[in-house]
Amino acid sequence: MKALTANRLIDGEVVFWSHGRWVERFGEAELFTDEAPADDAEGRAKSEGTVVVDPYLIEVGETDGGAAPIAYRERLRALGPTNTPDHGKQALGGHDIDVIAHASGVARSGGRLNLIKRK
Amino acid sequence: MYQYDVLDKEFLADRSAEFRHQVARRLAGEITEDQFKPLRLMNGLYLQLHAYMLRIAIPYGTVNGAQLRKLAWIARTYDKGYGHFTTRTNLQFHWIKLRDMPDILDALAEVDLHAIQTSGNCIRNVTADPRAGATAEEVDDPRVWAEVIRQWSTLHPEFTYLPRKFKIAVTASAKDRTAAKTHDIGLSLRRERDGTLGFEVMVGGGLGRSPYIGKTVREHLPVDRLLSYLEAVLRVYNRHGRRDNPAKARIKILVAQLGIEEFARQVEAEWALIDASKVDLPDTELARIRSFFARPDFQTLPRVSDAFDAAKAADAGLARFARNNVHAHKVPGYAIVDVSLKAIGATPGDASAEQLEVLADLAERYSLGEARVTHEQNIVLPHVKLDDLAAVYAGLKAAELASPNINLVSDIIACPGLDYCALANARAIPVAQDIARRFEDADRAELVGELKIKISGCINACGHHHVGHIGILGVDKKGEEFYQLTLGGSGAEDAEVGKPLGPALAANQVGQAIEDLVEVYLRERKGEERFLDTFRRTGVAPFKEAVYAEAH
Repeated sequence: MKALTANRLIDGEVVFWSHGRWVERFGEAELFTDEAPADDAEGRAKSEGTVVVDPYLIEVGETDGGAAPIAYRERLRALGPTNTPDHGKQALGGHDIDVIAHASGVARSGGRLNLIKRK
Repeated sequence: MYQYDVLDKEFLADRSAEFRHQVARRLAGEITEDQFKPLRLMNGLYLQLHAYMLRIAIPYGTVNGAQLRKLAWIARTYDKGYGHFTTRTNLQFHWIKLRDMPDILDALAEVDLHAIQTSGNCIRNVTADPRAGATAEEVDDPRVWAEVIRQWSTLHPEFTYLPRKFKIAVTASAKDRTAAKTHDIGLSLRRERDGTLGFEVMVGGGLGRSPYIGKTVREHLPVDRLLSYLEAVLRVYNRHGRRDNPAKARIKILVAQLGIEEFARQVEAEWALIDASKVDLPDTELARIRSFFARPDFQTLPRVSDAFDAAKAADAGLARFARNNVHAHKVPGYAIVDVSLKAIGATPGDASAEQLEVLADLAERYSLGEARVTHEQNIVLPHVKLDDLAAVYAGLKAAELASPNINLVSDIIACPGLDYCALANARAIPVAQDIARRFEDADRAELVGELKIKISGCINACGHHHVGHIGILGVDKKGEEFYQLTLGGSGAEDAEVGKPLGPALAANQVGQAIEDLVEVYLRERKGEERFLDTFRRTGVAPFKEAVYAEAH
């Protein structure tokens, strides 16, 4: 599975694509099982240059209780920094946060897709 | 400290207005992110994992009460109530919103602060000895020269697009507290036998992917020739530094490839072509700058303070603080106070808005209005009367700023790492927190003595791991956080790059490994040896054995 993420231009907030709009919680992100709609969404997001910065697709895996980004870096983005549990999205709590917080697996290198741009 | 004049203030106001306009154009879609990114970076604004990060220059680490209060206000108003002091003596806010940036720059300008040249391939904030003007060890006040370099390098048109960033340090003591030999240029002020002041100029130091210790390119540079000589060094670098590969673009690579003799020859040849009268600072201007760093109005006081001695005798905590955090001042009856931003379990270098305000109050009330930021992510109150030490300690303690651990095992440098930084491969902060908790026992920490642990979350080495007595580098190994240990590094006057201990360790093995290394040191040390001295005598073998024995 894949999800589409970016940072929001105006405040830098981590956001996820969900059926034509950007949401702040990973739990509300649209999860793509097929390549074509994911690539379409990425293309559309890239045209929203006044809304987000640097949209990209990430790998998502099924874990205990739900979906979570596979890359540790992406899980940190979806949660917030580990040294301050009261900062970032993790402070909101909820099932989706719990799922990501308890996910395990690969760190930074496995996360970002389409890193090599084909011209 | 240096006071901005009307021109300085107008310039900052103009820059702030310019960036306000640039932000508006970006939000309106008139410029793209590719066009905007270099503009925001020139104003210290990075986009990191969770938000924008704003890096504010603290010029040569010197800051006053009004500035600390303004930083606290920004932390509270626009961030999450804290700031992070870095190994470049800057302050970073990690939760900044682009829409607030113009107002933040205006607020900074009110107290003569800005974020210019805290990013980009230009001459960055100069590092100077945090004990400048307070230590008897110095031959001159390095801040004078740091300010000279700041003014010369600010928006220098020739050096705004160098092959890569450029960092300069100035020290005036034999004991180096600036990590001068890890800078692109390290300047060490010396007084010659004939009484003249000169700089030993070291060039080509740097950490990152390829660590180098700076080499001496000139033993004695007369101080009045500083700027023309710097210009010659920068010109040789600007012309021949590699622009094809960012990993090989720093001056250290050029110096290593040319050799120091050939590099020196080219600099001398370039220097001879420069019209020094147009570049070197006139004596009148130097005198003007020097006047901002005039000796403060110190009182005439006895060498010892009965009140302080009595307070120490009555309070073991104060006595411990005095042993570790209080240092000799050049003026009788005064002391230099190191304030640790490394409370056990805290994030190294972080200060809350409340703590920044306490530091502002203490600086104004007890330290002639001044504080300093150190490259080891701590704060210095440079001019505290011995009679006031107990009150300063009480004020610090109430704000959880009285950790008595300067230069001890829990005084750890750590970069923000993967918790915040878009470049990082692994976290640094939790590793530092774990190690500090293991050495929470202050008696044990003092028994271990000076031990500098430095942690970076990636090879860019913001945490100076190469020059830690114990260096820890976070790496991404098949998708998991792993940590490579190096031993025997030093960023001081005896600078040296640490040697690898062995294969990288998993995150949950690092804390125990540090404990094992310390046990080896305590077993092997002779006399007054520091960890570093013992390592240099024994070599890596006993340490390696302790950490990796079970794996064999």
